[in-house]
Amino acid sequence: MAGALTERDFVAKLEKAGFGEIEVLERTPMSVDDAALYPLFTAEVLELMRTLIAPERQQRVAVAIVVRARKA
Amino acid sequence: MSRDLLHTDEVKAIVRDAYGAVDAGTRAVARKLYSPEELALVPDSAIDRALGVANHLRHAELGPDDVVLDLGCGAGIDTILAARRAERVIGLDFLPAMLERTHAAATEAGLSNVETLEGEIEAIPLPDASVDHIVSNGVINLSARKSRVLAECARVLRPGGRLTVSDLTVEDEELPPEILMHPATWAG
Repeated sequence: MAGALTERDFVAKLEKAGFGEIEVLERTPMSVDDAALYPLFTAEVLELMRTLIAPERQQRVAVAIVVRARKA
Repeated sequence: MSRDLLHTDEVKAIVRDAYGAVDAGTRAVARKLYSPEELALVPDSAIDRALGVANHLRHAELGPDDVVLDLGCGAGIDTILAARRAERVIGLDFLPAMLERTHAAATEAGLSNVETLEGEIEAIPLPDASVDHIVSNGVINLSARKSRVLAECARVLRPGGRLTVSDLTVEDEELPPEILMHPATWAG
């Protein structure tokens, strides 16, 4: 999550790499509770999220996207 | 002495350690992302360690003659599902333990069209224009060199080839630095 791009930057990098017909087909917000499903997120970092992130933002700490593109 | 100005080695070490420490029993992710019908096609060993972020295979127009590359295949759930629809699937991962899991899952599923390949997504060990479709689930965001990863994808795809991936993105407002600097958020 810490290394994730914005959707805009992700699409821009795809274009720069030579992809076209780029479509973002799904956008699914990831909440802190969703992150807790993954063993990659430790109890410590989940506690930091619940403490430091505003409650309204805890429902959308990241967005999972599905992107489809074609090599030009 | 060489200097890793992008801290790529450090990020890779964090990812390697985090994924290496994942034990079985994380079925909640698979249940959230895949239908019961899809999960019925996959051995439990791959379901238990599914750590993707979405189900891009529902949107992937895979053909029966396609050679598919699963970038960062992990324990193999998407590799197995793709292999049910394509001629051949190559599961690429930089962690040998993940490749062993994918290989074991493919064997258990009775699939003979799955290959595993050790390598990094920033330097895909495949020839130019050698695959028809690339899939990947929650992996590209883990690389410190995303432009390089996408350039490698373009290199190994045949002209007109498709890329269908799931990945994590963030919004413009940054998360607090204590979270962004925590090693666990570089692996998850």
